[in-house]
Amino acid sequence: MTVNNPVAQPLGDSAINITFRSERSPELLRHVHAAARSLSSAGIPHVYDVVPGYLGLTVFYDPLSTTYREIAPQLVDQCTRFGQESAAHREKREHVIAVRYDGIDLESIASATGLSIDDVVARHAAGTYTVDLLGFVPGFAYLSELEPALQIPRRPQPRPRVPAGSVAIAAAQTGVYPLDTPGGWHIIGYTTTVMFDPARNPAALLAPGDSVRFERVP
Amino acid sequence: MITISKAPPYLTVQDAGRKRSRAAGVPQGGAMDSFALTVANALVGNPPDSAGLEWALGGGSVRFDRECVFATTGATAAITLSGTDVAPCTTTLARAGDVLTVETITGGRFLYIACSGGLDVPLLLGSRSTYLPGHFGGYQGRMLRTGDWIPLGPETAPRPKRGFHCAADLMPRYDTAIVHVTRGTHGSLFDDAAWARLTESEYRVSTASDRTGYKLEGPPIVTSLGALPSEPGCPGVIQVPQDGFPIALMADAPTVGGYPKIAVASEADLPILAQRRPGDPLRFELITIEQSQRALRRRAADLNTIAQLALRSGEREPRF
Repeated sequence: MTVNNPVAQPLGDSAINITFRSERSPELLRHVHAAARSLSSAGIPHVYDVVPGYLGLTVFYDPLSTTYREIAPQLVDQCTRFGQESAAHREKREHVIAVRYDGIDLESIASATGLSIDDVVARHAAGTYTVDLLGFVPGFAYLSELEPALQIPRRPQPRPRVPAGSVAIAAAQTGVYPLDTPGGWHIIGYTTTVMFDPARNPAALLAPGDSVRFERVP
Repeated sequence: MITISKAPPYLTVQDAGRKRSRAAGVPQGGAMDSFALTVANALVGNPPDSAGLEWALGGGSVRFDRECVFATTGATAAITLSGTDVAPCTTTLARAGDVLTVETITGGRFLYIACSGGLDVPLLLGSRSTYLPGHFGGYQGRMLRTGDWIPLGPETAPRPKRGFHCAADLMPRYDTAIVHVTRGTHGSLFDDAAWARLTESEYRVSTASDRTGYKLEGPPIVTSLGALPSEPGCPGVIQVPQDGFPIALMADAPTVGGYPKIAVASEADLPILAQRRPGDPLRFELITIEQSQRALRRRAADLNTIAQLALRSGEREPRF
């Protein structure tokens, strides 16, 4: 995929948003992840964090050591000329997460989709998903793409507390709640896999671009 | 160590925050008014990223179990040390057994207390700050309660002179209601009328405001923009949800979000924004990124001046 003329914009004093295109797509997201890896490993002075989004990425830097005017062209330049080989060289990370498919919403998912419970489970466990990005809470990965037959809108009212380890779906995405948090997704099952541990390195099990499968366990 | 002898309704350990873990979804966190905490650290001879107490919502008291110097910054409050009035922004000696009492907070929102040596809680992802929604960091990932005690770290630099006071003109103008902003990443998606609303109206911080963000009340900013593809944000982002009432993202805001980002508060003015209480008025003034970064460098220079003066004050007299 070729991306011409990425556009840089300041996001406050310490960050620069670099947008590649205006419409999201899986191809664009792969490009964003490759560009983020390239920027992270380029060792550009004063840069301390690179965060992928759906249309581009955001680079955090030290505004006391450089200025927006000075660093923006360097970052855009790096985004334009990084080689496709950087994507190929990357260690391919694949995760298999064991899931007990007895989520509190399993029956309502079945009735909303018109599928049997077994079919819902089989279809969810058959997919290979890609980590689009992390956000919402530490370690929460937005995984795409849920097959169309399983796609239902978020719950109208979020639950005040969803237990850590809940595997859930909403619209075209699935994900695992890493912490006890409020949440509006439909809970399909549970895992004992620790998705986030601030004392671990890396703290988050999943990283943008990783691929994930779910395995049914009793 | 220090012991919380009577916990206020809100009390956490905070430092400069986590700045390198956003891709894992970890918010920056750290002190809401990190300028104030950094000044407090300078006044007690600590490195700028040392951990201190972030205090809000009411009175309480803390006992010093070892001799140290401390300083209070940020919100205005009536504070005593074992019965004697404590001046704000001043290096003050506490002896073992002294009790620091905050009667009440009279202005602003977050009070900071730094002790020489800093609060010695474990480093997690490069920071000692408490992230309450994630139940990690700081003191066991939670607010401090009565009876909790925290060790102080070793003092790595000479203590500033007792009574050393930070000049008021080096601190942010907390009494002003003006917060400068730069255009946000979706600034161009808002029309002139929306921009006029944002920059010519008075807004008020609503009661729906916490460490994650401040919901603002005032003239709604009409937008036909719905949710956009999620993009990274940062503290200071002014986003506009469908109801038109802007939300200022604060320290614990999630790393990515889908609401349009009309503007971003200048970092130099984040202390002013953070210290606004529910009901306090607020006005936004649009400036360029160059002006904003210059203001931030001036703020950093002021901080450096405070730290240098504090350091030199200590070299002139022997340690007590």
